[in-house]
Amino acid sequence: MRFRYILKLSAESFMQKKLRSWLTILGIVIGVAAVVSILSLSTGTQQIITSQLGGLGADIVTVSPGFNRASGMFGGGGSGGGPEGGGGGTASSITEDHNLTTRDLAAIKSVPGVKAVDGMISDRLAISYLAHSATLSVEGVDPLAWKEMTTSSLASGRYLTPGDGNVAVIGSRVADGVFKQAVLLNSQITIEGKPFKVVGILESSGSFGGTDNAIIVPIDAARTVIESVAPTHFSSIQVQVQDANSVNQTTNDISSKLMLVRHVNDNTKDFTVSSAQSIQQSISSIMGTLSLFMAGIAAISLLVGAIGIANTMFMSVMERTKQIGILKALGTTNFEVMQLFMVESAIVGLIGGLLGVFVGFIVSGIIGEIGVSVIGNLGPRGGSMSLTAITPELVAFAIGFSTMLGIVSGLLPARRASKLQPTAALRYE
Amino acid sequence: MPEANEKTVIELKNVSKVYQMGEVEVSALKNINMKVEMGEFVVVMGPSGSGKSTLMNLIGCLDIPTEGKIFLETHDISKLSESQLARIRGSRIGFIFQFFNLYPTLSVIENVELPMRIHNYDERKIRGKSLELLKMVGLQNRNDHLPSQLSGGEMQRVAIARALSTEPSMILADEPTGNIDSKTSQEIMQFFKKLHTEKNETIIIVTHDQSVAKYAQRIIHLKDGQIKEGG
Ligand SMILES: Nc1ncnc2c1ncn2[C@@H]1O[C@H](COP(=O)(O)OP(=O)(O)O)[C@@H](O)[C@H]1O
Ligand SMILES: [Mg+2]
Repeated sequence: MRFRYILKLSAESFMQKKLRSWLTILGIVIGVAAVVSILSLSTGTQQIITSQLGGLGADIVTVSPGFNRASGMFGGGGSGGGPEGGGGGTASSITEDHNLTTRDLAAIKSVPGVKAVDGMISDRLAISYLAHSATLSVEGVDPLAWKEMTTSSLASGRYLTPGDGNVAVIGSRVADGVFKQAVLLNSQITIEGKPFKVVGILESSGSFGGTDNAIIVPIDAARTVIESVAPTHFSSIQVQVQDANSVNQTTNDISSKLMLVRHVNDNTKDFTVSSAQSIQQSISSIMGTLSLFMAGIAAISLLVGAIGIANTMFMSVMERTKQIGILKALGTTNFEVMQLFMVESAIVGLIGGLLGVFVGFIVSGIIGEIGVSVIGNLGPRGGSMSLTAITPELVAFAIGFSTMLGIVSGLLPARRASKLQPTAALRYE
Repeated sequence: MPEANEKTVIELKNVSKVYQMGEVEVSALKNINMKVEMGEFVVVMGPSGSGKSTLMNLIGCLDIPTEGKIFLETHDISKLSESQLARIRGSRIGFIFQFFNLYPTLSVIENVELPMRIHNYDERKIRGKSLELLKMVGLQNRNDHLPSQLSGGEMQRVAIARALSTEPSMILADEPTGNIDSKTSQEIMQFFKKLHTEKNETIIIVTHDQSVAKYAQRIIHLKDGQIKEGG
């Protein structure tokens, strides 16, 4: 019997018992859809995290005051609002903000593998432009080091240069979305009553740690308006490493060095050294575990679907006993009879997989919508990214896997069919 | 080796068949010896329970004997593998059953084509051959009907067309008139006779129907699993 004819007979048998076939398929559809939407959710969030953290730069290490003993990772924010990550209720110095000093800066500079160091101060200050005011984050940076390290590019104007006085580079949203009128290049804004000239406007970065809402000024000028940070202190220190591949090593080295100069040990540590990579790794590992767990639950529903296929196929073998007898009397071999049933269960698996991916697509679209509205925009313009992602690999895997599942589930029923004695099969009523 | 010449279609030598029914052994056939030559028209007669269907299953290679040997043409069927036996059975023997046994989801013409498809006949020749056979049995207008839409006599004629499609060396029929009225039975038997006289087909019919006997060239009487006469 040619395979094409086996296909025809299997497809006809499938069509004969429409309702039962579709119910069996439904079991697979649910399982596949669950697995697909869970995996797509995890792929999507990973992609968002990667792209959001990409704004920090792969070769940048941030040192911030405070240390969160619970995770050891997320202590201290970036340069934005003051770090909330202190605590753990150990020594009193731990909760103190802005306690990184020029001594720490010098120590970090001496660590091998460090290329540049930028001591930063920041605070939220009153800004006004054309009689309109707002409270925004102002960052004082080392002009040379910042220019080296920033991942933001200029929309217009220039970066800061050494020797700059009261000048500012502003983020795209500050320029375009905060004040009634757009802030123009070379216009003047006031920070805490002091005039600053806008010399550069940055491109939108659309990510965390991005600069869309920031006003960046030279650190010397910043110290004249930020009063919350003592003259020899910093809010955070950004470090650029020589080799992005050895970020983890350098992160550890900086940490050891600072523990030495600050006279703290692992238990009294009062600062956090983090890199985009380390944050990403720990978020990914949490997400990975979580989605593996959920995919495991979804896989159980697939297993139930597979048992459904086996059940339907056993029933089909019973009902078609007479047909099997006829086929065998007319010369069909055991192997061909086996193929006949395996193909039918593979069809169930394949259709289940196709529909499952389709339903999974819709479900993950809905999750994406709900997720975005619950979490809100991740980063200033982050809303354009989907929380879920269905990759071609995922689609291929889902369809391939469910077809395999169909074949495996059909194995035992098909074997039973092939072993039927022709005489017994023909007698069957 | 048997004394079979090329003209022997089937030969049974000292064949017995015992069915195991749990603890009980049922001896359905006892030491059967028979031989059918090419072109013969043989009817096996016997009362119900005499072992006719068992004999027909053995002749048709659908089952294997408990003892003895069966030769289909020149093949010792006990020496064939499962798939070889399936192929030979399907192509060399044309089966006709009491309950027709048409494939229910296939149309009339697809049923006639089924053996040719099982045996990988040239795709271009299949349709023509089956149209020709359906015309011969007088069912050319029912090609696309399903078996369930036909009368008993019509179904049996489809079965005959199907049995002839692979040009087998014998037609083997078990109670072919058992499920149709007597008038139609006579038509079917006339048809077998015509196949025998005009096409020189080898025909073996197993039946308890006395009216079938008169068409036979040779009658084998079976009783309690033994041949009484004509073997
Ligand atoms: N599969 C079977 N299992 C057990 N006993 C059987 C089986 N087939 C037939 N028999 C027994 O063998 C004997 C002959 O049966 P069968 O060949 O069907 O006779 P017939 O076709 O002449 O009516 C009967 O006694 C029957 O009960
Ligand atoms: Mg019988």
